[in-house]
Amino acid sequence: MIPRRLNHAQDGSKRKAATMHRQRIFFAVSMVSLLLWCSPRSLQAEEIQYRLKWLYNVSVIGDIYAEAGGCFGRMGLKVEVKEGGPERDAIKEVEMGYAQFGVASADQIIRALSKGAPIVVIAQLFQENPLQWIYRSGRIRMDKPSDLKGKTIGITYGGNDETVMRTILLQSGIRESDVRLYSVRYDYTPFYQAKVDLWPVYVNAQAPILRKKLEAAGEKTALFNPADMGIRFVANSVITSRKLASDRPDLIHRFLSALLDGWQQAMDPAHATEVLRVLSRFDRDTAPDIMAEQLDATRRLVHPPGTTIGAIDVSSWRQTEEILLQQKIIPHPVHIERFLAPRP
Amino acid sequence: MLRNRMVQFLLLYVLALAGLLGLKYGLGLSDYIIPPFLEICRTGLDVTPRYVAHVLNTLSIAILGHAISLLLAFAIGMLAAGKSAIAALVKTAAYNVQSYPIVAVAPIIFILLGDGLLSRLIISVMICYFPLLLTVMGVLSEPVEDIEHFYRMTGHICWGLQVRVRMFENIGKLTTVAVGSATMAMVGTIVSEFIASNAGIGYSIRVALYQSDMAKIITALLWIGVATSLYLILVEWIGNLIHRRVAA
Repeated sequence: MIPRRLNHAQDGSKRKAATMHRQRIFFAVSMVSLLLWCSPRSLQAEEIQYRLKWLYNVSVIGDIYAEAGGCFGRMGLKVEVKEGGPERDAIKEVEMGYAQFGVASADQIIRALSKGAPIVVIAQLFQENPLQWIYRSGRIRMDKPSDLKGKTIGITYGGNDETVMRTILLQSGIRESDVRLYSVRYDYTPFYQAKVDLWPVYVNAQAPILRKKLEAAGEKTALFNPADMGIRFVANSVITSRKLASDRPDLIHRFLSALLDGWQQAMDPAHATEVLRVLSRFDRDTAPDIMAEQLDATRRLVHPPGTTIGAIDVSSWRQTEEILLQQKIIPHPVHIERFLAPRP
Repeated sequence: MLRNRMVQFLLLYVLALAGLLGLKYGLGLSDYIIPPFLEICRTGLDVTPRYVAHVLNTLSIAILGHAISLLLAFAIGMLAAGKSAIAALVKTAAYNVQSYPIVAVAPIIFILLGDGLLSRLIISVMICYFPLLLTVMGVLSEPVEDIEHFYRMTGHICWGLQVRVRMFENIGKLTTVAVGSATMAMVGTIVSEFIASNAGIGYSIRVALYQSDMAKIITALLWIGVATSLYLILVEWIGNLIHRRVAA
């Protein structure tokens, strides 16, 4: 039998041990909390707003794939990829601080720079401009620019297709009175009704849809590409504020690496099934076969042979600026090369 | 009245412009977001002849749309004033047609009628007539018991007389709403031009938006304001004239 005093002593030491154990746990938890609280910001996902130029469709697949595929997350970024639209202006949002990064077309960017917008270009998403004109090849022939004479040509007044078409006309020595310019909207009815001969389309977005509809009606289509006339008008590019580019080069590097990684994966034919699955989550209205065709077309524009995804084609940017100057859309040169950040 | 109304509008316009410029310089915003005062003046001088013509084009459609809306609202309002099955059907149809957002209906209108004058007019009427209709229906559904009771007792009451009595007794309310709806007609026309047409000041604003040219938009707003003020004065004058005639 154990004496009562010894029993008491054992109980006391047990209590002491339990108290010490609790103290150790409390200390460990406190230290972990303190470490977490003091941890560098880089360990936490940094929240970023990224404003696209247009609605969710195949033209932004790399942007949404970078988010959905976890590319941003791996770089410690939590990026909200925000849909664009006709009334959205990523440049204004970047300047106002509502977004850190955005997508805008080259003409928008050059126009904004000519008015002192504090932005820089950090990547060029499309190596070839998707803007072309679709026409019924069974009705008209478009072998050379002079074939435009006498045609009814759709343009969006104030849009970059107006600028590009006016450049083609100017270069080809065609007067405006030699053609009929038709103001277009989002409704394709005038083209379906053959009131307009050439209709502006994004070759990777609307062209497959229009082609399919006209083929179903027994009509063949073809595309009139300004690049065939030597016009290299830059399309969608990624911008950020000059302040962010100079103050946070690490952030620019992480964002751009993740974004271009997303585009790289999205453009890889080996990932096509997964990419189309992601795209169909965002763009629910496009049929799967059309979407696959759109993805192929996008691949040819974003990553044509011999190019690097995201590379900034300085000579094309200079040409775009010259076109805007020539058409008096900007009053003076902006020297665009000063605002094109080399890829990190 | 004309001078007062124009001075009031210009004062408000200048105040709003000053606020915008204050915001620009206060926040250090670039000329891309808000253009400087000199650029606004330069652009204003440059585009004013064109924009005045566009505003007048819009105003002509708005006046026509307003007149059609008034006729339509009074016609449907009278039909819907009674308690018959037809009145109930007209009421339901009027509410249902209006419940569709105009941007959803617009493509159907354009497919059927093209993007010309008729589409602009129809959209303008659709935006303008419903507030008018509500008031007309409200006024014509409310009996004027003191007077109607007399005619009912003497056996002279009929639908036409009932409508005339109710309109006469509520002429102030009806003219006020008719005058107020002039603004809606202008707004409706501009919206229709913005979404579909190739003419008018709404279309010019759309092109300016494409070009991110705020100076042009500010100029367009000035001429829209001037035109709307002038039209309101005219409608108010007509309203007062009707009111006086009826009162006499």
